[in-house]
Amino acid sequence: MASLGSLVLLAAFVVASYAVAASVVGARRRSRRLVESGIGAFYFVAALMAVASGIIVHAFVTGNYAIKYVQRYSDSAQPLAYKLASYWGGLDGSIMFWVFLLSAFGAVAVSMNRERHRELIPWVVAVISVTEMFFLFIMVIHNNPFDTYLTAAPAEGRGLNPILQNFYMAIHPPSLYTGFVAMTIPFAFGIAALATGHVDDAWLRAVRRWTMIGWLFLTFGLTLGMLWAYEELGWGGFWVWDPVENAGLLPWFTATAFLHSVMVQERRGMLRVWNVTLVIVTFFLTIFGTFMTRSGVVQSVHAFGEDRELAMMFTVFMVAILVVSFGLVIYRLPLLRARHELDSWVSREAAFLANNWILLFSAFFVLFATMFPTLSEAIAGQRLTVGAPFFNKWMLPIGLILLVLTGIAPLLAWRKSTLTNLFQQLTWPAAAAIVTAGGVAALGIRVWASGICFALCAFVAVTIVQEFIRGAQVRRGATGTDILTALIGLVARSRRRYGGYIVHAGIVLMFLGFAGQGFKQDQQMLLKLGQQGTVGRFTIRHDALTVTSDEQKQMVTGQVTVSENGKQLGEMTPAKWFYSKHESEPTTEVAIRRAPGEDLYIVLAGYDVQSQSATYAVTINPLINWIWFGFGVLALGTGIALLPERALAFAVARLPAEAATTTLVLLLLLMPAVAHAQHTMDASILITPPKNDVEKGLRDEMGCTCGTCAHEPLTKCTCGVAQRMREELRQQVDQGKSREQILAHFTEVYGGQQYLSQPLDSGVGRLAWLFPYALGASGAFVVGLVALRWSRKDAADARESAAEPQKDEADPALKARLDDELRDLD
Amino acid sequence: MPPKTIKISLTVVILGLAFAGLMYSTLSEGTEYYKHVDEVMANPGAWQGKRLQLHGFVVDHSILRKPDSLDYRFQVQSNGKVVPVRYSGVVPDTFKGGAEVVLKGRLDGNGFAVEPNGVMAKCPSKYEAKAPAGAAGS
Repeated sequence: MASLGSLVLLAAFVVASYAVAASVVGARRRSRRLVESGIGAFYFVAALMAVASGIIVHAFVTGNYAIKYVQRYSDSAQPLAYKLASYWGGLDGSIMFWVFLLSAFGAVAVSMNRERHRELIPWVVAVISVTEMFFLFIMVIHNNPFDTYLTAAPAEGRGLNPILQNFYMAIHPPSLYTGFVAMTIPFAFGIAALATGHVDDAWLRAVRRWTMIGWLFLTFGLTLGMLWAYEELGWGGFWVWDPVENAGLLPWFTATAFLHSVMVQERRGMLRVWNVTLVIVTFFLTIFGTFMTRSGVVQSVHAFGEDRELAMMFTVFMVAILVVSFGLVIYRLPLLRARHELDSWVSREAAFLANNWILLFSAFFVLFATMFPTLSEAIAGQRLTVGAPFFNKWMLPIGLILLVLTGIAPLLAWRKSTLTNLFQQLTWPAAAAIVTAGGVAALGIRVWASGICFALCAFVAVTIVQEFIRGAQVRRGATGTDILTALIGLVARSRRRYGGYIVHAGIVLMFLGFAGQGFKQDQQMLLKLGQQGTVGRFTIRHDALTVTSDEQKQMVTGQVTVSENGKQLGEMTPAKWFYSKHESEPTTEVAIRRAPGEDLYIVLAGYDVQSQSATYAVTINPLINWIWFGFGVLALGTGIALLPERALAFAVARLPAEAATTTLVLLLLLMPAVAHAQHTMDASILITPPKNDVEKGLRDEMGCTCGTCAHEPLTKCTCGVAQRMREELRQQVDQGKSREQILAHFTEVYGGQQYLSQPLDSGVGRLAWLFPYALGASGAFVVGLVALRWSRKDAADARESAAEPQKDEADPALKARLDDELRDLD
Repeated sequence: MPPKTIKISLTVVILGLAFAGLMYSTLSEGTEYYKHVDEVMANPGAWQGKRLQLHGFVVDHSILRKPDSLDYRFQVQSNGKVVPVRYSGVVPDTFKGGAEVVLKGRLDGNGFAVEPNGVMAKCPSKYEAKAPAGAAGS
C-alpha cells in the first residue's frame, strides 16, 4: 500500500506538470484541444490526490504501522475520529492534505468558471498546478508521508500527541488549511488576468466568492484555534501572539482588506493595482506562514523542528512567487490605471482606503514583530524577543480604530458625503457611545481600553441597527409590506451589504469579548483537603484528589466545590491526564463553568497524591463566550452574503401576501433554533457516579427539565439544566432523605411532576402524557391564527396602497441614497 | 513639484516618522534579551537588571520547594555554567530535573529572579518527535 501511495504522489506530480505545460502552450497557441487536455489533467490530479488520501486514511484506520507517518501519529487505542484526524497531525500529512484540498478546490473553481471565463482558465490551471507541484515536490523528495520502515515494522504506533486529541484540534487545522487553500484560487485568477491582459473586473467577480469562503474558513480556523488554546492548554487565555497563531492571522488581515477594497473597484473602478496586490500578498502570506512554522525559522512553542532543507525550498518558491507576480503587475501597469480619482476624503471609498491601510499595517506589524527575534539575531547578533505585551500595546489602538471605521464607513456615501447628512446619521450612534461610556465610568470601571471598546461597540451596534431600520422603512414604503417582510426582503435584495453588516455585528460581539479580558482575574492557590480559597466572588473548596485510569490514560482529578457569595454552585473537576506513551507530557483538562457574563476557569496546576493537597490556578474570564458567539453571528452574515441569487428570490417577491408567507416560513424555521439554544450540550460536564441506590434510582426516574432534550433521564442528559438537577438531587441525598421525601421536595420546587422522566403512574400523573401534544397543538393554532390575520391584513394593505399614492416619511435624500445603493449593489 | 505630490510625500514622511518613533520607544521597553545561561554567566555584572529570557537546563535534583507553598528554588545550567533561580508560582507539567526551560525575569546579586508565570518548558517534541542527533531532515 505504501509504495502505491508514493507512486500516486509521483504520478500526481507528473500529471500536474503536464497540466501546466498543456495549459500554457494551449493558451499561447490558442489550441482549444491542448487547453481541454490540460483541464482534464488538472481534474486527474484531484482524483489522484483523493486516492492518495484514501490510502493514508486506510492505513490509519487499519493501523498499518509499517508506514512511519502512521506509526508516529496514531496508535490502536485511539478513537476512530482521532485516527482520521491524525492524517493532518504531522508535517508530511498536513502537506498532503493541503494538496488534496487545493486540487479539489481548484477542480471546483475551474469547472464553475470554465465557460464564463474561458480566456482565463488555462492560466488558472497552470498557476494552481504549479502550486500543487511545489508541495508534491516537497513530499516526493523530502517529506513523503508514505515512507516506510526499512527494518521490521513496529507492532504499535506512538500515538497522536495527546494535546491534539481534542475536538477543536481535529477540525481546527482543516479549517485553517481550507482558508489558506481557498486564497490560492483568487491568486490564480489574478495572475491569469495579468498574464492574459484581461484585467477588467471580470476576474474579480470570479474570485469574490472564493475569497469570502476562504475568509470564513480562516476566521473559523482562528476561532477554533483560540477555543482550543483556551480549553486545552490551560493558561486561562486564548491568544498569545505565538508565531503559529500569527501565521494564520497575517493572510486574514490582507484578505479582510481585499474584501473591502474590492467593492471600491466594483463601484468606482479605483484601486485596481491595489486589489491585485492584495490578492498576491494574501497568497504569499499563506505560503510564508507555512514556511515560518514548518521550517523552524521562528522559534515557537509549537513550531515544528528546524529544517534547513525545507526552508531552502520554501525560500526559492516564495522568491519565485514575488518576482513573477509583481513582475506581471509592473508589466501590466498601463492597463491597471484607475478610472476615477478620489473625490473627497469624506466618502466611503476613503474610509475603505483607511481601513485597508490599517489592515495592511497590522499585517506588516505582526509580521515584523513575529520575525523580530530572527531579524535581530541576523542583524545585531543579539537575539531580542518581544512578547505579547508588545503586540498588545500596538494592536489594541489599531483594533479600536478599525472598530470606529466599522461604524462610520457604512454611513458614508460613495464619492462624497455632505457633512450635514453625516452628522444627522451619527446622532444616535454617538449618543449610544456617550451613554455607554458614561455608564462604564459610573460603574467605576477603570480599564480605559475596555471602557473605550464598550463605548465603540455600542456606537457600531447602533449604526448597524440604524441601517437595517432605515433600509427596511424605505423598502416598506416602496413595496407596502409589513416591516419584518421588508427587512427580510431588504437582506435578500442586497445580501452582500446586509450580510456584511451582520458580519460587523459579529465582530462587535467578538470585541466585547476582547474588552472583557481587561477585567480578567487570576490567582493560584495551594489547598489542602477541605481548605478553601477565594477569587473575586467565587470561593473554591478542595474536596478530594482522585486517581483513576482507563485503557488510554491515567487521570488525576481534583474535586472542588465552588460557591458564589456564599451560595453553593456545584462541583467542578479539573484534571491532569497522562496518556500512555506520553506520560511525560500530561494534558490539562480544564474545568470551565460557562456563563454569558464570565467563565470560571479552574486548572489543576499541581498536586501531591500523598498529602492530597492540590494547587489550583483559577481564572475569571469575563465576557469571553461572546467571542465564540460573535463568530457564530459572523458566520451567519458571511453565509447570507454568499447565498446565491435564487435562494432568497421568494422573499423579494413584491406581492405582500407571499411576503407574509415568507415571514411565517422564516419564523417557523427559527423556532427550533430558539428551542435549541436552551439546550446546550456541555462536554465539560462529567456525570459523577451516584452515591447510593436512592440516588441511582432517582436519576433514572427524573428527567431534564430544559424542555428540549426530549426529557432525557438525568443519567444521560449532559446539558447544564440536568447538571443543576443532579447537583440538587445530590444535596437532597446528602441530607439522608428517602426517595419519597426527595420526590416530595422536587414536586414542591417544580410545582408539579414534570421533572420526572416518566410521570408517576397515578391519577393526575397520567395527564402529563398529554402535555407535549397539547403544546404542539397550541403552537400550531397560534401559527395558523397569525397566518390568517396577516393574509387578511396584507390584502387590505394592498388595496389601500393601490388606492392612494404612497406616503413616505423617510427623508428624501436618505431614500435616494438607499434606493441608489439597493439598485446598484448586486 | 505638483502640490499633490508634496502633500502625499509630506503625509508619508510624517506618518513614517511617527511610526518609527513609536516603534523605537515601545521596542526599547518591550524587548527581552534571549540568552543561554553560559552567555549570561560569562559576565553576570553586565546583565544584572536587564529583562532576560534565560535558556538552560534544570540541574538534576536541584529543585527545592518550600512545603505547603508555591515557592521554588532550583538551578539551571548550560555548558557547565550554573545559576540559582527563585520562582513563586505554578510550574509547567514538564518541569523537572534535566528539563529544558526558558525563564523570563532579571538577574540580581542572588541569582535569577523569575517573574510570575515566567517558567516556560521548552519542548520541541510537542508536535513533532525530536529528530535523533545527526539525522538529516525530519
